[in-house]
Amino acid sequence: MFTLPQKESRAPATCPGSASTQDLDSNYGDGLERECSRKPDRKMLEFCGAGDPTAMLSSGSSYLSSRGGVIKWFWDSAEEGYRTYHTDEYDEDKNPSGIINLGTSENKLCFDLLSSRLSQSDMLRVEPSLLQYPDWRGHRFLREEVARFLSFYCKSPTPLKPENVVVLNGCASLFSALATVLCEVGEAFLIPAPYYGAITQHVYLYGNVRLVCVYLDSEVTGLDTRPFQLTVERLEMALQRANSEGVKVKGLILINPHNPLGDIYSPGELRNYLEFAKRHELHVMVDEVYMLSVFEKSAAYCSVLSLEGLPDPQRTHVMWATSKDFGMSGLRFGTLYTENQDVATAVASLCRYHGLSGLVQYQMAQLLRDRDWINQVYLPENHARLKAAHTYVAGELQALGIPFLSHGAGFFIWVDLRKFLPEATFKEEMLLWRRFLDNKVLLSCGKTFECKEPGWFRLVFSDKAHRLCLGMRRVRQVLGGKSQVAEEPHSCQTQEPRSQRR
Amino acid sequence: MSHQSDTLHLPCGQTRGQSLGSQGTHTRPLEMMLHLQQTIEKHIMQLVTRHQQQDLVLGDQRHHQATGEQEALLGNLVSQLVGLLQSGATGGLGLQPSYPALDVRGDVGGGQEAQSSGQPDQPVHQLKDPEATFVSQHLSNRGIEISASYQANLQDYRIYQGDKYHEDKNPLGFINLGISENKLCLDLMTERLSQSDTNFTEDVLLQYSDWSGQPFLREEVARFLTYYCKVPAQLDPENVVVLNGCSSIFSTLAMVLCDPGEALLTPTPFYGSFVFSSQLYSKVELILVHLDSESTDANPDPFKLTVDKLEQALLEVTLTGKKVRGLVLINPQNPLGDVYSRDTLKEYLEFAKRYNLHVIMDEIYMLSVFDESITFHSVLSMESLPDPNRTHVIWGTSKDFGISGFRFGVLYTHNKEVASAVSSFGYLHSVSGIIQYKLCRLLQDREWIDGVYLPTYRSRLRRAHRYITRKLKALGIPFLNHGSGLYVWINLKVCLDPCTFEEERLLCRRFLDNKLILSRGKTYMCKEPGWFRIVFADRPLRLKQAMYRFYQVLEEQKWDLRVKQPESAQKE
Repeated sequence: MFTLPQKESRAPATCPGSASTQDLDSNYGDGLERECSRKPDRKMLEFCGAGDPTAMLSSGSSYLSSRGGVIKWFWDSAEEGYRTYHTDEYDEDKNPSGIINLGTSENKLCFDLLSSRLSQSDMLRVEPSLLQYPDWRGHRFLREEVARFLSFYCKSPTPLKPENVVVLNGCASLFSALATVLCEVGEAFLIPAPYYGAITQHVYLYGNVRLVCVYLDSEVTGLDTRPFQLTVERLEMALQRANSEGVKVKGLILINPHNPLGDIYSPGELRNYLEFAKRHELHVMVDEVYMLSVFEKSAAYCSVLSLEGLPDPQRTHVMWATSKDFGMSGLRFGTLYTENQDVATAVASLCRYHGLSGLVQYQMAQLLRDRDWINQVYLPENHARLKAAHTYVAGELQALGIPFLSHGAGFFIWVDLRKFLPEATFKEEMLLWRRFLDNKVLLSCGKTFECKEPGWFRLVFSDKAHRLCLGMRRVRQVLGGKSQVAEEPHSCQTQEPRSQRR
Repeated sequence: MSHQSDTLHLPCGQTRGQSLGSQGTHTRPLEMMLHLQQTIEKHIMQLVTRHQQQDLVLGDQRHHQATGEQEALLGNLVSQLVGLLQSGATGGLGLQPSYPALDVRGDVGGGQEAQSSGQPDQPVHQLKDPEATFVSQHLSNRGIEISASYQANLQDYRIYQGDKYHEDKNPLGFINLGISENKLCLDLMTERLSQSDTNFTEDVLLQYSDWSGQPFLREEVARFLTYYCKVPAQLDPENVVVLNGCSSIFSTLAMVLCDPGEALLTPTPFYGSFVFSSQLYSKVELILVHLDSESTDANPDPFKLTVDKLEQALLEVTLTGKKVRGLVLINPQNPLGDVYSRDTLKEYLEFAKRYNLHVIMDEIYMLSVFDESITFHSVLSMESLPDPNRTHVIWGTSKDFGISGFRFGVLYTHNKEVASAVSSFGYLHSVSGIIQYKLCRLLQDREWIDGVYLPTYRSRLRRAHRYITRKLKALGIPFLNHGSGLYVWINLKVCLDPCTFEEERLLCRRFLDNKLILSRGKTYMCKEPGWFRIVFADRPLRLKQAMYRFYQVLEEQKWDLRVKQPESAQKE
């Protein structure tokens, strides 16, 4: 076993890709979106030396290459939380005192509906063409279905085209492939932070591409209308900073609806961001993986594909998957929509490494085709269940006087636990996270989302009522015991947390 | 290690050596400029002599073809130069020089399995779409390379897909004996997979799983390999990693065992797609250990791999300062169709151990040994592996079960570090839970595998092999007659004049023009022109039709040779 160096080191100034803009030391934790933790005291070297991962750490392994050492480190650090959770997973009957997972963003509310739909006879077709080598972009029948599906649900002004669709085994692969084909080694994408931390690993592993954070504030200042608001001004500043540090930025990643904030961008905002990207010739990757998980009727969701006249269609790439909206993260289905044929082809060239089984492609096509079931059965029921779970958790948090953000989309609530930290440090945040885990409830802490303010946590509510109640009871216990430690208790501030300490 | 290639499509190992040095960035474009100049001169010469040849109709056709080829070569040279200049511009970033990957375009054909297409000659096609190959303003340089290597294939693939042979509906369509796909047992597989026991859609399959594979499947794989590889002790499920295909496994192994610019040794002829896989993401070079077709006293079997050859290649490479991290072996071999004996296997492993080399052992055809007199020895069957921590075995269901569309590959390694590092990629190469369940049920069903599937599969392989080899014998075409794999490695040197890779390419094109897809030796990095691989794991009717076309092409080719020979005699 090798141990990772404890201290961060900066890349030599001559390394253009060294991007002091972020240190990878924090991103995987939730990162793996199931392995919701990592060992708090492990520190990763800042990745330095573009194209030269060997500079990153000297692997103590005689078997692995230098980059292999780094790659393995990703696994080990994620394994940590994964093992803790999986060796002691909650089970109503077998292990009632096991860990409840409110950290992984999975929708566990509709397995009954999905299982029964996927078991219907139309799903079970097996035919030779599905067993043989496919078109690496995805079977034609599926790409056609995806195009129809997205045209309808994204409210695209004109029908989307199957030629612009590439199908692969999940959005993780898509991030990886896009990073590889859009960037050189060491180049970067902009991303507003906090963000879904696993993306760091996705773009790094193969692509060796960095993320430059556009840090957002919880405090509402200037013209902001809400906490953590992304503005073009902030984008410009982050880009400028990256440029001045010699980091070449090739694109912007937007997550809409946002993970972990639950924000939905308005059409106006979206257009502003896209115009910003166009001005700087940046690609925009829009991750719309929660687009059908908007459960609040008042929240109007707008896909970029619904915009009339995209500012820069050749540089706009949309991602969607069934992992979240259809609660099937284990099915491994993701799709890219881009009008740029160069990009589509380049991503497709990588698809032999990220392909999904023909049988699953067939099932997905059947599923997406079944509008009646989706519109009459699945979506109403899913939204109702999400809303009920959300209402319950939001109520609990309000009763506890805990501020949080939630905008009626996604599976999670972004919770402000800053007042429970004796000191505003990530160390304290990690201690609190650990305390939750010791009390058998798993949450994800802000650090794993690259949030710059310690004390924020993401709490996933899309779980069955009995687990959710128990999980919340444990959360209450931890905070009940802990809140006395806090120096000054705050009044309940739902929806609008104020930044108390900096 | 220093053979000459007839075109610019040098096998990777060759150009890399020259280009990795610091002066490579300049010498390479220079060399190409020179080549370009020569080609232009030759082209003009041809134009000049055109009138003299016009009276010969056939000659004219040939001439047209030759002119086309020249043009193709010219365009290709230019596009490569542009690529070089582009990559040179980014050299300052500490990038690996990216042009070696250009080779991949020429060589990846054998990777048809990978690309699903049987395009024997990319250069010509590349030209049809020259802009896409290098003028994309949106892609990174590596994106352009990746795309270019694929695009040519895509075009052929689309042509093939749109014009597939069907005995009733499209009797004039393409027959594909280029892709190593087992089409003999689709009926059995379809039937087995349609049984209700393989259908299961529960919570656990729909959720995120262990990224190294669902525990139930890894356990089943361990049991399966223990049994079919005849392992002395039970294999450990913890040493199993499941990903979506063997290409993915190979790609991740290259990533975690080698740093960019480091190398793996491999004997050729060799499954060409690995060149692509090692280049694409990981920028690892394959050092080719070229084997000879000729038998000598010291080397009685054609294409025999010896430790001497391995040592010599290793020494040569090491002298250039390149770091070799491992050895890649395929057993049963692709495209030779042979198996390694237990003793030779041991020798290779001992060799690797002496030099601290990893051994990546691809046993993807292990159940496709159809000659009963042959015994396949998995490395896992050895009582004691020379260097268990550096021995990594790959297997998958694509070939042995003929379900390449399933996307399933397995790594077995005793080395926990390697297993963990490869598992980091689980997210990017994951297999659907529903599919993992089906595979588990399939691998579990020993009764069906041993009682129904394997006997039927092998007897069909035997029959198809017998048919093809009889035809080849009747045509007087030499081939290597071995009892495993889905293909025969045949020698068409007599049909080439001169015996060059260019002629090999033209012959391959001629097959294609006659709606027959074969893959040629060049895509397996064979050092001698004239070898082809014919896949015979297809239904008898298609096979028969294919062999008819094969015969016709050879007749055409012979006719051309007869015309050509007096012609060249005249010139002399």
